[in-house]
Amino acid sequence: MADRRRINGPAGATIPPIFDDGVDKKTASQKPTRSRPANAVRHTFLKTGVTPSASGSAYLEVEVPGKPGVSGLKLSCTVHGPRSLPRSSPFAPHIILTTHVKFAPFATKQRRGYLRDPTERDLGSHLETALRGAIIADRWPKSGVDIIVSIIEGDQDRETSKEQGDESWDMMNALSGCITVASAALADAGIDCVDTVAGGVAALVREEANNGVAKIVIDPVPSEHVKIEAACCVAYLPTRDEITNLWFKGDMPDDNMNTYMELVQQGIQASKFANRVLVQSISETVG
Amino acid sequence: MAQPALTFPRPVFAKLSPHPFLLRCLNPSDETETPSRTNGRTPREARPLQIHTSSLSHAHGSAVVRTGDTTVICGIRAEVLPVAQIPQYRPRAAFEEETEASRKAEIKNYDLVVPNIELATGCAPQFLPGVPPTALAQTLSSRVYSLLVGSGMVQVEDLRIWKGGEKEEGGMDVDVDEEEEKELVGYWVLYVDLLFVSFDGNPFDAAWTAVVATLKDTKVPVARWDDDRETVVCSGEAKQLGVKGLPVACSAAVFLEKEYGEPGEGRHWILLDPDRLEETLCREVVTMVVDCSSGETRIRAMEKQGGTVISRELMRGFVGVAEQRWKEVSKAMQ
Repeated sequence: MADRRRINGPAGATIPPIFDDGVDKKTASQKPTRSRPANAVRHTFLKTGVTPSASGSAYLEVEVPGKPGVSGLKLSCTVHGPRSLPRSSPFAPHIILTTHVKFAPFATKQRRGYLRDPTERDLGSHLETALRGAIIADRWPKSGVDIIVSIIEGDQDRETSKEQGDESWDMMNALSGCITVASAALADAGIDCVDTVAGGVAALVREEANNGVAKIVIDPVPSEHVKIEAACCVAYLPTRDEITNLWFKGDMPDDNMNTYMELVQQGIQASKFANRVLVQSISETVG
Repeated sequence: MAQPALTFPRPVFAKLSPHPFLLRCLNPSDETETPSRTNGRTPREARPLQIHTSSLSHAHGSAVVRTGDTTVICGIRAEVLPVAQIPQYRPRAAFEEETEASRKAEIKNYDLVVPNIELATGCAPQFLPGVPPTALAQTLSSRVYSLLVGSGMVQVEDLRIWKGGEKEEGGMDVDVDEEEEKELVGYWVLYVDLLFVSFDGNPFDAAWTAVVATLKDTKVPVARWDDDRETVVCSGEAKQLGVKGLPVACSAAVFLEKEYGEPGEGRHWILLDPDRLEETLCREVVTMVVDCSSGETRIRAMEKQGGTVISRELMRGFVGVAEQRWKEVSKAMQ
């Protein structure tokens, strides 16, 4: 049944526009390639305190790598709390963390609805795991905190066709951004953490279509590579040298464990870069 | 002996007893002080407006509007609605005259503009996700919808998709039958999605300004019918959406001297562009939508609720305030 609390639009299904001309020649000549080195991340902009009515908030934007049409990631995060739990809820000796990740309807190539879909729930639960390891939860018994991340724009190339650009790889970048921005917002809210947690992504990519040599890059943009074999998103605490969340996805030969270790190691490296931006941004506001 | 002094900084007073605090600010006991609101503005002063357009790449048009601490992002996305998908579709007969009313009815009957407002982004502590849209979000969506359809800003001619591509006068291929050329194959549906990033009062003005700025920024792809694929396809170019007029919303709240009791007693102040604190203290709210783009002032919508203080004279005077606001907003749009 249609959602009667919103304006639903026409009863018949609408279809997103299909473009026909010039697609072939465009992809041939203008296919984006990775211009930065394999161990470099894109520039990131992070600002705290964008929502004054919330306890803490932050905004993160990842730079567009040199080409119009490729959208950078844009995230906004608000933290509400710590505040007392409702009377009906059972006793909790530590803080109850609630995370929400929601894509804006105009964030991705396909228009998204207002109800949360499984991908968003998945991102939310990963984010919760990543942050739970950083927050000193037993300082606030019987209280709760809400962390809400709105993805204003996803990390997707507008030019790539649907078959080529697999959405699941974009989720990795989205999650790493969510972790970093939520960590900044938590710091802005003044919630005690053992360390600043930041997210980083590393991927095993193939440059040639068939049997090229696979290599590891950090902060991958899926449209810049022919194929992504595997990717992992790491939430890492640098001063304690701890990983709070590890999300690995893909297909990897099992004969060599070193490749896997290397991939995680590169993910940590990417997370360290993100952490540098995070610490700089927080120290600017704290002064 | 010194008086036992109990002093608090201003934010603490505002939190503890908001109504007397705002009253004291507007009506200072000291004659030398100028009356101002808690936020430092004079009663007839609106917050400065900042508008950025075309910042999103997946939407066909977008705008970010910021007034003080209220920030709203608007994105418009166009999707194709083939006429085969419209239940009870009835093509217009040749003898039927096309009027202004019939054009508006076409947009309304086929739901060609779909505005939605999302407040549950944690933009303020009372709006948290995980619950259905609040009454405020639903009211705002339907107010924007009725104003968008009623004001006739979007014209249905821009949303029609013809079989032979863009309808042109002359220059047609002679071999093609004239009747077939004019066949309507679909409509563009504009999904207008508004996301509040930060909420500090006066949501309708900010949302409406964002909608207008986004419509002016929207480019709809040039579409035509593909016979082989039997579907509507678009070429890479895009056409600017024609927007008629520039309606601007102007809201104010009425602050009463007496916190409780019958309205109409005691003094009152009209506060333009109220913020979150002022909105919680005021019951009567007036909104006027004016359009001065044609040279003379036209009132597009007028709403007033929650009290009886604003009389006929005050309403007339408020048109002048709205005109002033129109000038500010139209300047910010450029």
